[in-house]
Amino acid sequence: MRGFLLGLSSGTVCAAYCAPVLVPYLLGEGRGVLKNFSALTQFLLGRLLGYLSFAVFAWGIHVSLPQDITKQNLLIGAAYLILAGLLIYYSFFKAGRACPQAGGQGTGHRLRDPRSSFFLLSLGLVTGLNLCPPFLLAVATASQQATLAQSILFFLTFFIGTSVFLIPAPLLGLLRGFPPLHVIGKMAAGLIGAYYFFIGATMLAGGFYL
Amino acid sequence: MMKEHHPQENTVGDRQSLGKSFLFAFPMMLLTFIMMSGGKIPAEPQKLFVFAVTYLFFNILFFLMIHTGKTDRYRATAFITYALLFIVSFISHMFEVRGSMSLSEEKIILCEVPFCHLVIPMTLIPAAFTRTIIFPGSITEGYASIASMFAIWIGASLSLGRGWCSWGCFFGGLDDAFSRILKKPLIKKIDPRWTYLPWAVLLAAMLTAAAFLSPTYCSWICPFKAVTEFQAVTSFKILVQTIIFVALFIALVIVLPLMTKRRTQCSLFCPFGAMQGLTNRINAFAVRIDPDKCINCKKCVTACPTFSMTEESVQAGGALTSCMKCGTCVDVCPKGAPSFHVRGTPVDENRNIKRLLFLYAAFLFLATFSAGNIQDGLSRIIRLITTGSMI
Repeated sequence: MRGFLLGLSSGTVCAAYCAPVLVPYLLGEGRGVLKNFSALTQFLLGRLLGYLSFAVFAWGIHVSLPQDITKQNLLIGAAYLILAGLLIYYSFFKAGRACPQAGGQGTGHRLRDPRSSFFLLSLGLVTGLNLCPPFLLAVATASQQATLAQSILFFLTFFIGTSVFLIPAPLLGLLRGFPPLHVIGKMAAGLIGAYYFFIGATMLAGGFYL
Repeated sequence: MMKEHHPQENTVGDRQSLGKSFLFAFPMMLLTFIMMSGGKIPAEPQKLFVFAVTYLFFNILFFLMIHTGKTDRYRATAFITYALLFIVSFISHMFEVRGSMSLSEEKIILCEVPFCHLVIPMTLIPAAFTRTIIFPGSITEGYASIASMFAIWIGASLSLGRGWCSWGCFFGGLDDAFSRILKKPLIKKIDPRWTYLPWAVLLAAMLTAAAFLSPTYCSWICPFKAVTEFQAVTSFKILVQTIIFVALFIALVIVLPLMTKRRTQCSLFCPFGAMQGLTNRINAFAVRIDPDKCINCKKCVTACPTFSMTEESVQAGGALTSCMKCGTCVDVCPKGAPSFHVRGTPVDENRNIKRLLFLYAAFLFLATFSAGNIQDGLSRIIRLITTGSMI
């Protein structure tokens, strides 16, 4: 219950952290509300995966990793760089969608295809590892749990609490009849990717040199 | 006077006789006098001189607008002068109070950073959710307070819509100036999809500002920091930010306007401008095209410095929502098809009255808003000539 309440009380911040990734993607794809719900589910599953891996990690170390600023910078910096790579790739991605036969069926291809579950899971996973302020609170609390199951349960309920605020996101599908938004979404993804790249690079530099 | 974007000898303008021009300009003379003086004429000789020069400058330009029936060249003269003297005034002021153009951490913590309208889109979401303005400025005090800028912006949006970008913005005159230097553009074809970029910048800036509770556009990519103020380079991060904004200033405000003869920063990048386009929808004034007069020569499409006239929009009878109401299309048309229009009225009736109504609103706003900076800029230039220092 504590995890759910923490998620619910800080969910707007989580939504604000996820929105720069999710909103440009949903606009850029220009799909309907139902398909956006499916995309959101995949994104959230990725985020859940990120959270749960942290649950294991937080329980395992029993210390609050985020208190170590150098390690924190390295971790968040790396997550931002991966996220930047995915967003920039999405922004400039063109091939494969118009002609599905063009690509292969391997893992590499599925990661490269922005409509594949892999791509959305990856976006969700890296966003989940971004250590936004509420997430740092959750990590600190989870590190005090006695058992692994408790830690996982805490993160699961925290995840549910925060996800409530992302439920309206698929409604962006209502705007799909306005084609310029697809271009705008992709351009915004590229710009946000570039922003994350600089943030990540400077954080990594800070993490290495602090 | 400024060069027109595409000078045309045989264009149709609502030219007025000298007597009528004086009659129509007289209300502006009175209004600008009241607004600029605040009911008190400066007693000090230098201030009086600067006041008189500024007053005459504006009223001669307005008189010429009425008399010649042309808008853009006189607007641009005032608008570019404003941008240049704003920079002179702003930088001198910064040197006076801080000793340099750079911002220290201390000034940021003390919330002594002047607020500029370009920040407004980024402040909206965080203000709605957290009731906090995510900018290290003062709400009511200081050189440019947050409240005063919001009040001016709301007033301008109601009266001019995106006309703000051609009549009010203190930065817009810079790329406007560079876009007029060459006679012909070196780059003629620009993919129309680039006109969506300001919306993408707006979306990215608003989302990242909401996520990080920080004015990300200002911190990272605002090109105009190059001519106003910037953070002192004390870290690798600030160094990267400095390189980015200087490069963007050179590219978007100098090089691209020169090469394309378009206002590239304002029409292809500025997120505030994109947002301001929405206010064009609720604004009383618009640029419309009389289909009976239009001969489809596409001169307005070629001349529009803001990509707001396209073949489709001409067919539809008006400019796009990105129109900054600069008047270039109105001036350049050989048949007088485009005109300043008041919504809800017939396009082909009382064109001159509608143009006058718009000009009274737009020019009075420009004169009132810019007069302080122009006078201060002029005073500092006089001080530089007479004493060797602007401060």
